[in-house]
Formats: sequence, C-alpha cells, structure tokens
Amino acid sequence: MFDFSMLFQGVATLASSPLALVMAAIGVVIGIFIGAMPGLTATMGVAILLPFTFGMDPLPGLLLISGVFFGGVYGGSVTAILLKIPGTPAAAATAMDGYALTEKGQASLALGTATVSSFIGGTGSVLVLIFLAPVLAGFALNFSAPESFALAVFGLSIISSISGASPVKGLIAGMLGLLVATIGLDPMGGFPRFTFGFPDLYEVPFIPVMIGLFAAAEAFKTMEDPARRLGQAARLGRLLPPWDKLRSVLPTIGRSTGLGVLMGMIPGAGADVAAFVSYNEAKRFSRNPENFGKGELSGVAACESGANACTGGALLTMLTLGIPGDAVTAIMLGALTLQGLQPGPLLFQQHADLVFTLFAGMIFCYVAMLVLGLGLMRVMGNVLKVPPALLTPTILVLCMVGTYALNNSMFDVGVMLVAGIAGYFMQKYGFPASPVVLALIMGPMAEANFRRALSLSNGSLDFLWTRPITVALLALALLTLFLPLLRWLWQRRGSRHRAA
Amino acid sequence: MDRRSFTFSALGAMAAIPLGGRAMAAGYPSRTIEMIVPYSAGGGTDLVARAFADIANQSLAKAIGVVNRTGGGGAVGLTGIARARPNGFTIGLGTAEITMLPHMGMASFTASDFTAIAQLNADPSAITVKADAPWQTLEEFLAHAKENPGTVRIGNSGTGAIWHLAAEALGKEVGATFNHIPFEGAAPAVTALLGGHIEAVSVSPAEVSNFVAAGELRMLGVMADERVAAFPDVATFKEQGVDLSVGTWRGVLVPNGLPEEALSVLREVAATAGQSEEFKAQLAKMNLNHAYMDADAFQAKIAAQDEFFGELMTELGMAR
Repeated sequence: MFDFSMLFQGVATLASSPLALVMAAIGVVIGIFIGAMPGLTATMGVAILLPFTFGMDPLPGLLLISGVFFGGVYGGSVTAILLKIPGTPAAAATAMDGYALTEKGQASLALGTATVSSFIGGTGSVLVLIFLAPVLAGFALNFSAPESFALAVFGLSIISSISGASPVKGLIAGMLGLLVATIGLDPMGGFPRFTFGFPDLYEVPFIPVMIGLFAAAEAFKTMEDPARRLGQAARLGRLLPPWDKLRSVLPTIGRSTGLGVLMGMIPGAGADVAAFVSYNEAKRFSRNPENFGKGELSGVAACESGANACTGGALLTMLTLGIPGDAVTAIMLGALTLQGLQPGPLLFQQHADLVFTLFAGMIFCYVAMLVLGLGLMRVMGNVLKVPPALLTPTILVLCMVGTYALNNSMFDVGVMLVAGIAGYFMQKYGFPASPVVLALIMGPMAEANFRRALSLSNGSLDFLWTRPITVALLALALLTLFLPLLRWLWQRRGSRHRAA
Repeated sequence: MDRRSFTFSALGAMAAIPLGGRAMAAGYPSRTIEMIVPYSAGGGTDLVARAFADIANQSLAKAIGVVNRTGGGGAVGLTGIARARPNGFTIGLGTAEITMLPHMGMASFTASDFTAIAQLNADPSAITVKADAPWQTLEEFLAHAKENPGTVRIGNSGTGAIWHLAAEALGKEVGATFNHIPFEGAAPAVTALLGGHIEAVSVSPAEVSNFVAAGELRMLGVMADERVAAFPDVATFKEQGVDLSVGTWRGVLVPNGLPEEALSVLREVAATAGQSEEFKAQLAKMNLNHAYMDADAFQAKIAAQDEFFGELMTELGMAR
C-alpha cells in the first residue's frame, strides 16, 4: 500500500523551507522565458543553471532545475499561440490550432486553455510519478529498438492527420522532412551523408530548421503585407477560459495526460512526440475532426497536456531506473548524482524523505506555473499590439540570436535562414510546415531503430510481428494513415453524389 | 547559451580573483582566455572543463571562460581548438576523439595539430553484463563468445566512438566475433542491457556504476593498467590475461605554435589546479576517474593512441 505519511511529511518539509519554494518559482519563471524564446531550450536552461545548484542544498537546487524543466515545456506554447513561433518542438504542434485561434481573435481563450491544460497534464503526471512509480518502473525496459521503431512509424503516420486541407501537400512536406532528416552521420555506420564536407552537418540541424520554417517564414510573410495587424483582431479578455469550454476539452486533457506520461517514460521519446501523438488521438476521438487545424480548442489542450505530462513520465524512468529519457533528464541525473543522490532502484529506499519532499515541490512548481502563466498572460498578450513594422524585425533578430546561441554557430544561422525562405514559399503554396518538423523528429528515430533492431536480431525481420508492443503500434500507424484517407474519399464521393 | 554561461563563469571568476593569490600577474594572460569545450553544457566533458576553470582561475591574472562549441560528434569544437590563433587566448578541453576522428576522415585536423598541456581525467572501457547472466568472469564470457561467434551483442555509444573501438579491439585481441550494436550514447546502451536486449556493454565504469552498486549489473573487468578507484574489486583485463588498455581521456589542449611564456604559464596552472584536492573531489562527485598527466607524458600518450587507433581502424576497414 502507498505510504501516505511519507507524502504528508514531504509537504511539511517543503512548507518549512521557503528557499526551496522561492527557487521553484524562480525556476518556473526562467523556464517560461527560455521556453518562449525560439532557440533557447529547457535543456540549455537546465545546463546553464546546473553549476549554480552545486553550492545549494539538494532540495532548492533540484527544484530550481525542475522549475526550469516544467516552465520550459509550457513556455513554448505562449509564442506558438500568439505569434506562431514555437519556442520548442512540442509547441510546433500547439501552433497549428493555437495560432489559428489567435487569428480568429481568441488568443486569450487559447492561452488560458494551454495554461490550464499544461497544469493538469503536468500535475497529473507528477501524481502518477508519486503513486505509481514502483508499478510502472520496469515499463521503459520493455522498449527496445523494435518498439521504438514502431513508435516512430506511428509518429510518421500522424503526418496524415496534421496535413490540413490537402493530404497530398502534407505528404510532400513530410517527404521533404524525411529527406532533410537523412543528412548527417549514418546512425549505424557512422559515415557522413550529404554533409558536403561540413562537420556542422554531422547532426541534422533540427532546431534551426524548425525556427526557420515557423518563425522566420512567418516574419517574411508579414513583410509581404505589413498592414496586416493581429493586434486588432486579438483582444485579450478574461484570464480563465469559460467553464463550459474547459469542460468540453477535459476528456481530451485526461487522455493526453495518460499518453504524455507513457511517451515520457519511453527512452528517446519526449514532449515533442507526446504533443503530436496527443493531437492525433484528440482528432481521432473528436466528433468534428475537420475543425482541427482551423482553431480547434481541444487541439491546443491535447498538445499542451500531452507535452507537459511527459515531464512526470520522464522523471519516473530517470528516478526509478537511473535511465534518462531525454536530454533534460540526463542533465538532471547528473545534478542528482552530484548531490549525492544516485538515481536508480536504491533512491526510494535510501532517500525516501527527500524524494517525497521533491515530489511535493514539483506539484508546487506546477501550481506556480498556473498562477504565473495566467498572471503573465495579459503582459505577454500585449505583444500583439506591437505594430508589425517593429515586431517583424524583432522576431527575425530573436530567430538569429536564438539559433546562434544553440551551438555558437553562424552555420546554423544560415541553415535557419534557408529554412525560413523555404518555409515562406511552402506557406505561399499551401504546404504545411508541421509535417516537416514531425518527419525530422521521427525520421532519424525510425531509421536508427529499424537498423538497430535488424542488427539485434541478426538480420531477421521477425521482430515486426513477434513483439506485441511493436505489432500494436504498427497497427495504430496503419489505422492513422488510412482513416483520414478513407474519410476524405468518402466525403469526395458524397460531394460528387450531391453534385450529380 | 554559451555566451551567457561564459559571462556567468567570467563573473564567478572575477569574484574569485581577489581571494586567490595572483601568482602570475605579469605578462600572460593579459586578457580573458576562452576554453572551447566540443560537447554540450551539462555533459561530462563540460563539467570537467568548468571544474578545472573554476580552480585554475584562482591563480590566473585573467579568467578562463568556458565556451561550448558543439556539433559533429566533437569535430566542430576540436577543429576550433586546432585552428585557433596560437596566442594562448583560445585553449580547449580535448578528448580521445582527436586520435580517432581524423582516421575516419571526419576531421580536417590530425592529432599532431595539438600541443598538450595536461591530462585531467581518464576513463577505461569496462565489459559489463547483467547480474543474472551466466558468465561470472571475463574468461567465461570470452569463452562463450569464441564458441558462438556473432551472437554476443555488445552495446556501445555509437559507431566509431571510443567504446565501440574498445569492443572491437577486444574481439581482435582474443579472436572473438561480437555483434556490435551502436546506440545514441552510453545511457541507451545501458538501458538495453538492463532490459535484456543485448548481452553486454563496453562503456565506462562511471556509466554503469549506479546499476552495479544496486546489484543489477556485473562488471567483468576494466581495460586499464590499474584498477579503477571506484571499483577496487573489479580486476583489470591485464590481470585476467588479456593485454588490453583502452579508454577515453580528457585534457587541456592548445593549438601548435603557442608562445613559450603562455605554454609554461598554462602548464604550471594546470599542474596546480589539475592535482588539487578540490578538483579531485569535483571529479569524484561526478563519478569520473581523476588521472593527471603532465604535458610530456600526455603528448606521448596522444601520439601512441593516435597510432593505435590508426592501425585498428585500418584493420576494421573504418579508416578513410
């Protein structure tokens, strides 16, 4: 049975250490800022702050880092919704419907829903971490290369549901992303592919491409039509979304939270995968899937709750097994080790008191995020009142500074600008940008894991049908791939009938 | 990120200067020294660099600021060190990759483009299996591998990376054929081992220490000349009859052609900071093996390793 006294003790310890609470709140603020800036990532924020925690006690230090982690995942949504600039890859999913809502003048509804969804998703995942950690601890170990491959294929199939009006253009955009994803070092052989002798291209410059496709392309588009002004359309109204709207997206939030926790637990899949998968499932279960991409509130709710629920899942695997699921938890693993807390099977036995205080602190981080997020909404919303003549150059400068900061590399800035020009023309001719981002996330994951799986099984393809998780995920992929196609054919037939 | 972390460390360093004695006030360094780290902030190499810079700054007239220049599996940052103007104001934290990347045609520099200042840390490869695996000793493991060629899967942190080459060198040395499985870093390889998807990993002791301590994994031996301080019970390969010593290292490197004054100041500072108790304690906290080596020994080691990997990769058909 779960020992509640440990948790209560944790809450009490937390309440008696104001420094830890302050650090948690500071972390969340820094995280939101970092998340909102294109190019600055939660990974980066955590890495920069890590040396500062060396001198601190474990609790405030770890809560500062947790705050940055949580805030960073949420912060990406703010600029994605207001300006269509996803601060994080996960927010690229949020941008699809979030920005469409802003264009409709419902920015505050989108922002409020994103904040509440993030809060519920994040808190829910921490609760899963608290109550179900021992039960779920071994889950990540079932995920080997064949499972990761199947998950990536499922992820790629989502292209069909985020393609918007034209599935063909979506698929073309997805193929373009897959082509770009082949640039870099061959995942198994280590040979450089399509790098043209530039060591800078040994890894796919994913974030620069994303910043270019979304933010820079949007800025170029505004230059074309400087009179277009979002500020008039968007008036920020009430802070909290109205209850009936919120209630209608609650089932989506619940489902996405579950999905997010699962994705978080799987090594190699993170908030980006969770956001896209949650979006896909929200659309699949929706009564009006045709509204997705045109400003559907549950699309925003799905992405945000899914992405934030990832945090608890990733922490679960990291704390119980000592396995980092992504770059942020890898750094947190280091932070814990430096504090003398070796994550892994022994952590909960040897440091139960601190672990539960940490959990209580994580819940506090999310409460702080909710309050700060809603409170800062009006301030952040003012960005829409800035005339495009000022806003557009500012965005372009931010794109460049953010891209440069990533690797201290001017090469990346060039990649970003090229992607921006490509993104501008894609937008002009109706090709969606999100499939490119999704393909860039999933393509390398699918390739590396397929070939690794082959290598693990000594060249036999049996892993495709002998492993239950793999089979289930591949079946889901087929379903996702063909459902919209069938629906589309059905509708076309229907309209032809009507025309006849 | 790096501009900022640089500023932060510089600020920290400025705060530290008045406290530490200004041993070398005259001449070099007349301005801030930039230390290039070829890997991202928060990683092992970065932490070694920051710990070293913090301590070295106590005795330097101008501070060392750490700048992460990532990409290309280290190639971008290492090129930055090799191609920096040799004035002593750009130094770097180099890794074993300088003796590996050039042979694979993945770098525009060679190992001889660097001048050694001091080695700070070295971590050997270790063969680790699951605790419930049938092999209790390295001998049993290798015997099984020789009897069943190609079936023993050893996970590594990427093709051409140090742990892959260590496992390849082992196969060559004992005459066994392993199935080498590359992962995106050491942690996913260890995860696969824990899940029972592979038979062994060849990553460093630090990367499995947690699981060995918890009794989930068993370390069969380390490829070092001496036993690792953190695992005094684990025998070296040499003790177990396999003459093999392969591992990674991290150390301060500069481009060739540095003025004599700068070289001597840097070597003196590195000797003090690199052997200080404070630095040793920082490394121990991070599970990293402290292994100071002075400039001459370090330079000789780089040359020897460069030759070793050059031959190994040519034999494996990886050289280009």
